Amino acid sequence: MSHDGHHSVVIPAPGPEFLPHTVAHHFDTPVQEFQAAKLGFWLFLATEILLFGGLFAAYFYYHEAYPETFRLGGHQLDWKLGALNTSVLLLSSWTMAMGVRSAQTSQKKKLLVYCGLTVLGAAIFMVVKFFEYKAKYDHGLFVFPEMFHGYDTATGQLPWFKDYHGVMAGVPHGHLFFAIYVTMTAIHGLHVLIGAGLILWVMKGAAKGRFHAGYFLPVDLVGLYWHLVDLIWIFLFPLLYLVP
Amino acid sequence: MSAHTHDVHAGHAHGDLQMGHHHVSSSRMFANVLVALLILTAITVATSRFDFGSANMLIAMVIASVKASLVMAFFMHLKWDTAINKIVFLSSFLFLSLLFLFTLTDLATRRIDNSLHTTKAPVDKGWVQPAPHAGH
Repeated sequence: MSHDGHHSVVIPAPGPEFLPHTVAHHFDTPVQEFQAAKLGFWLFLATEILLFGGLFAAYFYYHEAYPETFRLGGHQLDWKLGALNTSVLLLSSWTMAMGVRSAQTSQKKKLLVYCGLTVLGAAIFMVVKFFEYKAKYDHGLFVFPEMFHGYDTATGQLPWFKDYHGVMAGVPHGHLFFAIYVTMTAIHGLHVLIGAGLILWVMKGAAKGRFHAGYFLPVDLVGLYWHLVDLIWIFLFPLLYLVP
Repeated sequence: MSAHTHDVHAGHAHGDLQMGHHHVSSSRMFANVLVALLILTAITVATSRFDFGSANMLIAMVIASVKASLVMAFFMHLKWDTAINKIVFLSSFLFLSLLFLFTLTDLATRRIDNSLHTTKAPVDKGWVQPAPHAGH
Protein backbone atom coordinates (compact mmCIF):
# COMPACT_ATOMS: atom_id res chain seq x y z
CA MET A 1 0.00 0.00 0.00
CA SER A 2 1.12 3.54 -0.64
CA HIS A 3 0.20 4.87 2.78
CA ASP A 4 3.07 2.96 4.38
CA GLY A 5 5.17 5.94 3.32
CA HIS A 6 7.50 3.99 1.06
CA HIS A 7 5.71 4.31 -2.22
CA SER A 8 4.24 7.53 -3.50
CA VAL A 9 1.89 7.74 -6.44
CA VAL A 10 3.08 10.12 -9.12
CA ILE A 11 0.98 11.57 -11.93
CA PRO A 12 3.44 12.08 -14.79
CA ALA A 13 3.76 15.35 -16.68
CA PRO A 14 2.11 15.22 -20.12
CA GLY A 15 4.97 17.17 -21.69
CA PRO A 16 8.37 18.74 -21.07
CA GLU A 17 6.82 22.10 -20.11
CA PHE A 18 4.85 20.44 -17.28
CA LEU A 19 5.74 19.04 -13.86
CA PRO A 20 4.60 15.67 -12.48
CA HIS A 21 2.30 15.66 -9.43
CA THR A 22 3.07 13.54 -6.38
CA VAL A 23 -0.12 12.47 -4.62
CA ALA A 24 -0.04 13.32 -0.90
CA HIS A 25 1.16 10.27 1.05
CA HIS A 26 -2.08 9.88 3.02
CA PHE A 27 -4.04 9.15 -0.16
CA ASP A 28 -3.96 5.79 -1.93
CA THR A 29 -4.94 7.08 -5.36
CA PRO A 30 -5.13 10.38 -7.27
CA VAL A 31 -8.91 9.91 -7.49
CA GLN A 32 -9.16 9.69 -3.70
CA GLU A 33 -7.09 12.87 -3.33
CA PHE A 34 -9.24 14.70 -5.88
CA GLN A 35 -12.59 13.60 -4.42
CA ALA A 36 -11.57 14.36 -0.82
CA ALA A 37 -10.43 17.88 -1.74
CA LYS A 38 -13.56 18.54 -3.80
CA LEU A 39 -15.90 17.37 -1.02
CA GLY A 40 -14.06 19.53 1.51
CA PHE A 41 -14.24 22.54 -0.75
CA TRP A 42 -17.95 22.16 -1.49
CA LEU A 43 -18.51 21.95 2.28
CA PHE A 44 -16.55 25.20 2.69
CA LEU A 45 -18.62 26.82 -0.07
CA ALA A 46 -21.79 25.70 1.76
CA THR A 47 -20.58 27.62 4.85
CA GLU A 48 -19.98 30.65 2.61
CA ILE A 49 -23.62 30.46 1.46
CA LEU A 50 -24.68 30.41 5.11
CA LEU A 51 -22.40 33.38 5.95
CA PHE A 52 -23.92 35.53 3.23
CA GLY A 53 -27.33 33.96 3.93
CA GLY A 54 -27.42 35.61 7.36
CA LEU A 55 -26.79 38.98 5.73
CA PHE A 56 -29.48 38.34 3.12
CA ALA A 57 -31.90 37.46 5.95
CA ALA A 58 -31.10 40.84 7.55
CA TYR A 59 -31.70 42.52 4.20
CA PHE A 60 -35.09 40.86 3.67
CA TYR A 61 -36.17 41.56 7.25
CA TYR A 62 -35.48 45.29 7.13
CA HIS A 63 -36.62 45.61 3.52
CA GLU A 64 -40.01 44.26 4.58
CA ALA A 65 -40.05 46.42 7.72
CA TYR A 66 -38.98 49.69 6.05
CA PRO A 67 -39.59 49.37 2.29
CA GLU A 68 -39.47 53.15 1.71
CA THR A 69 -36.06 53.39 3.36
CA PHE A 70 -34.70 50.70 1.08
CA ARG A 71 -36.26 52.16 -2.06
CA LEU A 72 -34.86 55.62 -1.30
CA GLY A 73 -31.50 54.12 -0.30
CA GLY A 74 -31.30 52.13 -3.52
CA HIS A 75 -31.87 55.31 -5.51
CA GLN A 76 -28.69 56.78 -3.97
CA LEU A 77 -26.64 54.06 -5.68
CA ASP A 78 -25.74 54.29 -9.37
CA TRP A 79 -27.39 51.28 -11.02
CA LYS A 80 -25.23 51.79 -14.13
CA LEU A 81 -22.07 51.20 -12.09
CA GLY A 82 -23.78 48.19 -10.49
CA ALA A 83 -24.70 46.80 -13.91
CA LEU A 84 -21.15 47.44 -15.14
CA ASN A 85 -19.70 45.53 -12.20
CA THR A 86 -22.24 42.71 -12.71
CA SER A 87 -21.12 42.35 -16.33
CA VAL A 88 -17.44 42.47 -15.30
CA LEU A 89 -17.96 39.68 -12.75
CA LEU A 90 -19.97 37.54 -15.20
CA LEU A 91 -17.22 37.95 -17.81
CA SER A 92 -14.55 37.09 -15.25
CA SER A 93 -16.52 34.00 -14.25
CA TRP A 94 -16.47 32.97 -17.90
CA THR A 95 -12.70 33.57 -18.22
CA MET A 96 -12.18 31.50 -15.04
CA ALA A 97 -14.29 28.64 -16.42
CA MET A 98 -12.22 28.80 -19.63
CA GLY A 99 -9.05 28.83 -17.49
CA VAL A 100 -10.08 25.59 -15.74
CA ARG A 101 -10.87 24.12 -19.16
CA SER A 102 -7.38 25.15 -20.39
CA ALA A 103 -5.83 23.35 -17.42
CA GLN A 104 -7.95 20.24 -18.13
CA THR A 105 -6.69 20.22 -21.72
CA SER A 106 -3.02 20.97 -20.80
CA GLN A 107 -2.96 24.40 -22.48
CA LYS A 108 -0.45 26.22 -20.31
CA LYS A 109 -0.38 29.56 -22.13
CA LYS A 110 -4.20 29.76 -22.37
CA LEU A 111 -4.51 28.97 -18.65
CA LEU A 112 -2.23 31.90 -17.83
CA VAL A 113 -4.06 34.28 -20.19
CA TYR A 114 -7.53 33.36 -18.88
CA CYS A 115 -6.40 33.62 -15.25
CA GLY A 116 -4.78 37.00 -16.03
CA LEU A 117 -8.04 38.25 -17.56
CA THR A 118 -9.94 37.07 -14.46
CA VAL A 119 -7.59 39.05 -12.19
CA LEU A 120 -8.08 42.06 -14.48
CA GLY A 121 -11.86 41.67 -13.99
CA ALA A 122 -11.34 41.60 -10.21
CA ALA A 123 -9.23 44.78 -10.43
CA ILE A 124 -11.84 46.63 -12.53
CA PHE A 125 -14.55 45.54 -10.08
CA MET A 126 -12.62 46.87 -7.07
CA VAL A 127 -11.74 50.18 -8.77
CA VAL A 128 -15.44 50.78 -9.59
CA LYS A 129 -16.33 49.80 -6.01
CA PHE A 130 -13.74 52.27 -4.66
CA PHE A 131 -15.32 55.19 -6.55
CA GLU A 132 -18.80 54.12 -5.42
CA TYR A 133 -17.67 53.97 -1.78
CA LYS A 134 -15.94 57.35 -2.12
CA ALA A 135 -19.14 59.01 -3.38
CA LYS A 136 -21.12 57.57 -0.46
CA TYR A 137 -18.41 58.65 1.97
CA ASP A 138 -18.49 62.20 0.57
CA HIS A 139 -22.25 62.31 1.13
CA GLY A 140 -21.78 61.13 4.71
CA LEU A 141 -23.85 58.01 4.10
CA PHE A 142 -21.13 56.06 5.79
CA VAL A 143 -18.07 57.55 7.38
CA PHE A 144 -15.42 54.86 7.67
CA PRO A 145 -13.36 56.33 10.55
CA GLU A 146 -16.49 56.25 12.70
CA MET A 147 -17.86 52.99 11.34
CA PHE A 148 -17.39 51.14 14.63
CA HIS A 149 -18.46 53.93 16.94
CA GLY A 150 -21.65 52.95 18.69
CA TYR A 151 -24.96 54.69 18.97
CA ASP A 152 -24.44 58.07 20.58
CA THR A 153 -26.97 58.44 23.40
CA ALA A 154 -26.13 62.15 23.83
CA THR A 155 -27.08 63.11 20.27
CA GLY A 156 -29.34 60.18 19.49
CA GLN A 157 -27.36 59.58 16.30
CA LEU A 158 -25.13 56.98 14.75
CA PRO A 159 -21.71 58.65 14.35
CA TRP A 160 -20.96 56.91 11.04
CA PHE A 161 -24.20 58.04 9.38
CA LYS A 162 -24.17 61.82 8.77
CA ASP A 163 -26.30 62.22 5.60
CA TYR A 164 -24.86 65.70 4.87
CA HIS A 165 -27.37 66.39 2.06
CA GLY A 166 -30.37 64.97 3.84
CA VAL A 167 -31.10 62.50 1.05
CA MET A 168 -32.56 60.02 3.53
CA ALA A 169 -34.68 62.54 5.41
CA GLY A 170 -38.31 61.60 5.73
CA VAL A 171 -37.86 57.84 5.91
CA PRO A 172 -37.47 55.74 9.05
CA HIS A 173 -33.98 54.50 9.94
CA GLY A 174 -32.22 55.94 6.90
CA HIS A 175 -28.93 54.41 8.07
CA LEU A 176 -30.27 50.84 7.85
CA PHE A 177 -29.97 50.54 4.08
CA PHE A 178 -26.41 51.82 4.08
CA ALA A 179 -25.38 49.66 7.04
CA ILE A 180 -26.56 46.59 5.11
CA TYR A 181 -25.17 47.86 1.80
CA VAL A 182 -21.68 48.48 3.14
CA THR A 183 -21.56 45.26 5.20
CA MET A 184 -22.66 43.03 2.34
CA THR A 185 -20.53 44.68 -0.38
CA ALA A 186 -17.45 44.97 1.86
CA ILE A 187 -17.55 41.27 2.78
CA HIS A 188 -18.18 40.47 -0.88
CA GLY A 189 -15.31 42.79 -1.89
CA LEU A 190 -13.04 41.00 0.58
CA HIS A 191 -13.91 37.76 -1.23
CA VAL A 192 -13.06 39.42 -4.57
CA LEU A 193 -9.62 40.39 -3.21
CA ILE A 194 -8.98 36.92 -1.71
CA GLY A 195 -10.15 35.32 -4.97
CA ALA A 196 -7.80 37.51 -7.04
CA GLY A 197 -4.91 36.57 -4.72
CA LEU A 198 -5.72 32.86 -5.11
CA ILE A 199 -5.86 33.20 -8.91
CA LEU A 200 -2.42 34.91 -8.86
CA TRP A 201 -1.16 31.95 -6.80
CA VAL A 202 -2.62 29.56 -9.40
CA MET A 203 -0.84 31.55 -12.13
CA LYS A 204 2.47 31.17 -10.29
CA GLY A 205 2.03 27.38 -10.28
CA ALA A 206 0.75 27.37 -13.86
CA ALA A 207 3.85 29.24 -15.03
CA LYS A 208 5.96 26.44 -13.54
CA GLY A 209 3.81 23.87 -15.35
CA ARG A 210 2.20 22.33 -12.27
CA PHE A 211 -1.27 22.10 -13.82
CA HIS A 212 -2.25 19.87 -16.73
CA ALA A 213 -4.81 17.24 -17.79
CA GLY A 214 -3.43 14.83 -15.16
CA TYR A 215 -3.58 17.31 -12.26
CA PHE A 216 -5.60 20.52 -12.16
CA LEU A 217 -7.18 20.29 -8.68
CA PRO A 218 -6.03 23.73 -7.33
CA VAL A 219 -7.23 25.48 -10.53
CA ASP A 220 -10.59 23.73 -10.18
CA LEU A 221 -11.03 24.71 -6.51
CA VAL A 222 -9.96 28.35 -6.97
CA GLY A 223 -12.34 28.45 -9.95
CA LEU A 224 -15.21 27.28 -7.71
CA TYR A 225 -14.36 30.02 -5.18
CA TRP A 226 -14.40 32.64 -7.93
CA HIS A 227 -17.78 31.46 -9.23
CA LEU A 228 -19.17 31.71 -5.69
CA VAL A 229 -18.11 35.38 -5.59
CA ASP A 230 -20.09 35.82 -8.83
CA LEU A 231 -23.03 33.83 -7.44
CA ILE A 232 -23.37 36.17 -4.41
CA TRP A 233 -23.15 39.30 -6.59
CA ILE A 234 -25.94 38.01 -8.86
CA PHE A 235 -28.27 38.49 -5.86
CA LEU A 236 -26.62 41.63 -4.46
CA PHE A 237 -27.02 43.62 -7.69
CA PRO A 238 -30.84 43.63 -7.98
CA LEU A 239 -31.36 43.83 -4.20
CA LEU A 240 -29.07 46.83 -3.61
CA TYR A 241 -29.06 48.78 -6.88
CA LEU A 242 -32.57 48.11 -8.20
CA VAL A 243 -34.30 47.71 -4.82
CA PRO A 244 -37.52 45.90 -5.74
CA MET B 1 -6.09 -1.69 -8.14
CA SER B 2 -2.83 -1.65 -6.23
CA ALA B 3 -1.38 1.73 -5.45
CA HIS B 4 2.04 0.22 -6.16
CA THR B 5 1.44 0.87 -9.82
CA HIS B 6 3.63 3.79 -10.81
CA ASP B 7 3.61 3.38 -14.55
CA VAL B 8 0.64 5.65 -15.16
CA HIS B 9 0.44 6.89 -18.70
CA ALA B 10 0.11 10.52 -19.66
CA GLY B 11 -3.02 11.20 -21.63
CA HIS B 12 -4.86 8.26 -20.11
CA ALA B 13 -7.14 10.14 -17.78
CA HIS B 14 -9.38 7.32 -16.58
CA GLY B 15 -9.95 5.34 -13.41
CA ASP B 16 -7.27 5.29 -10.74
CA LEU B 17 -4.49 6.25 -13.10
CA GLN B 18 -5.03 10.01 -12.76
CA MET B 19 -7.51 12.20 -10.91
CA GLY B 20 -10.34 10.24 -12.49
CA HIS B 21 -12.63 10.88 -15.39
CA HIS B 22 -13.62 14.51 -15.78
CA HIS B 23 -16.15 16.18 -17.95
CA VAL B 24 -14.46 18.85 -20.05
CA SER B 25 -17.07 21.33 -21.23
CA SER B 26 -16.92 22.79 -24.72
CA SER B 27 -15.95 26.43 -25.22
CA ARG B 28 -19.21 26.97 -27.10
CA MET B 29 -21.25 25.88 -24.08
CA PHE B 30 -19.40 28.30 -21.79
CA ALA B 31 -19.94 31.11 -24.33
CA ASN B 32 -23.66 30.31 -24.51
CA VAL B 33 -23.94 30.40 -20.70
CA LEU B 34 -22.15 33.78 -20.60
CA VAL B 35 -24.49 35.27 -23.23
CA ALA B 36 -27.52 33.93 -21.33
CA LEU B 37 -26.23 35.48 -18.07
CA LEU B 38 -25.68 38.88 -19.71
CA ILE B 39 -29.14 38.82 -21.34
CA LEU B 40 -30.73 37.91 -18.00
CA THR B 41 -28.87 40.85 -16.38
CA ALA B 42 -30.38 43.18 -19.00
CA ILE B 43 -33.83 41.67 -18.32
CA THR B 44 -33.29 42.27 -14.56
CA VAL B 45 -32.60 45.97 -15.22
CA ALA B 46 -35.50 46.25 -17.69
CA THR B 47 -38.12 44.70 -15.37
CA SER B 48 -37.00 46.96 -12.50
CA ARG B 49 -38.15 49.97 -14.60
CA PHE B 50 -41.78 48.85 -14.27
CA ASP B 51 -43.85 48.95 -11.12
CA PHE B 52 -45.40 45.54 -10.55
CA GLY B 53 -45.90 46.24 -6.85
CA SER B 54 -44.71 43.46 -4.61
CA ALA B 55 -44.17 41.24 -7.68
CA ASN B 56 -40.99 43.20 -8.49
CA MET B 57 -39.13 41.40 -5.70
CA LEU B 58 -40.42 38.02 -6.86
CA ILE B 59 -39.42 38.71 -10.49
CA ALA B 60 -35.93 39.94 -9.51
CA MET B 61 -35.32 36.91 -7.29
CA VAL B 62 -36.61 34.42 -9.86
CA ILE B 63 -34.27 35.86 -12.53
CA ALA B 64 -31.35 35.91 -10.06
CA SER B 65 -32.08 32.27 -9.15
CA VAL B 66 -32.04 31.26 -12.82
CA LYS B 67 -28.70 33.07 -13.26
CA ALA B 68 -27.31 31.42 -10.11
CA SER B 69 -28.46 28.00 -11.35
CA LEU B 70 -26.64 28.55 -14.67
CA VAL B 71 -23.44 29.51 -12.83
CA MET B 72 -23.69 26.50 -10.50
CA ALA B 73 -24.63 23.91 -13.12
CA PHE B 74 -22.20 24.93 -15.87
CA PHE B 75 -19.44 27.25 -14.64
CA MET B 76 -19.12 25.32 -11.35
CA HIS B 77 -19.62 21.99 -13.15
CA LEU B 78 -22.11 20.88 -10.50
CA LYS B 79 -24.17 19.17 -13.22
CA TRP B 80 -21.36 16.64 -13.71
CA ASP B 81 -20.20 16.50 -10.09
CA THR B 82 -20.74 13.58 -7.71
CA ALA B 83 -24.05 13.14 -5.87
CA ILE B 84 -22.43 13.76 -2.47
CA ASN B 85 -20.97 17.09 -3.61
CA LYS B 86 -24.34 18.16 -5.01
CA ILE B 87 -26.08 17.22 -1.75
CA VAL B 88 -23.49 19.01 0.42
CA PHE B 89 -23.67 22.27 -1.52
CA LEU B 90 -27.39 22.35 -2.29
CA SER B 91 -28.29 21.46 1.32
CA SER B 92 -26.94 24.89 2.34
CA PHE B 93 -29.87 26.42 0.45
CA LEU B 94 -32.28 24.17 2.34
CA PHE B 95 -30.93 25.40 5.68
CA LEU B 96 -30.95 28.96 4.35
CA SER B 97 -34.66 28.63 3.56
CA LEU B 98 -35.26 27.64 7.21
CA LEU B 99 -33.46 30.80 8.34
CA PHE B 100 -35.57 32.93 5.97
CA LEU B 101 -38.80 31.17 6.95
CA PHE B 102 -38.45 31.77 10.69
CA THR B 103 -37.03 35.28 10.24
CA LEU B 104 -40.00 36.31 8.11
CA THR B 105 -42.40 34.59 10.53
CA ASP B 106 -41.11 36.98 13.19
CA LEU B 107 -41.65 39.91 10.88
CA ALA B 108 -45.19 38.85 9.98
CA THR B 109 -46.19 38.74 13.65
CA ARG B 110 -44.61 42.07 14.63
CA ARG B 111 -46.15 45.52 14.31
CA ILE B 112 -43.73 48.18 13.11
CA ASP B 113 -44.85 51.77 13.37
CA ASN B 114 -42.83 53.62 10.76
CA SER B 115 -44.00 57.05 11.83
CA LEU B 116 -42.28 56.66 15.20
CA HIS B 117 -38.85 56.37 13.62
CA THR B 118 -39.06 58.85 10.78
CA THR B 119 -36.34 61.46 10.62
CA LYS B 120 -37.99 64.81 10.03
CA ALA B 121 -34.99 66.92 9.04
CA PRO B 122 -31.53 66.33 7.63
CA VAL B 123 -28.87 65.75 10.21
CA ASP B 124 -26.75 68.85 10.47
CA LYS B 125 -23.01 68.52 10.05
CA GLY B 126 -22.63 70.44 13.29
CA TRP B 127 -23.71 67.57 15.50
CA VAL B 128 -20.40 65.84 14.79
CA GLN B 129 -19.08 67.90 17.68
CA PRO B 130 -22.02 67.85 20.07
CA ALA B 131 -22.36 70.69 22.53
CA PRO B 132 -21.30 69.79 26.09
CA HIS B 133 -24.12 68.66 28.33
CA ALA B 134 -25.61 71.35 30.51
CA GLY B 135 -25.38 70.52 34.16
CA HIS B 136 -22.84 67.72 33.88
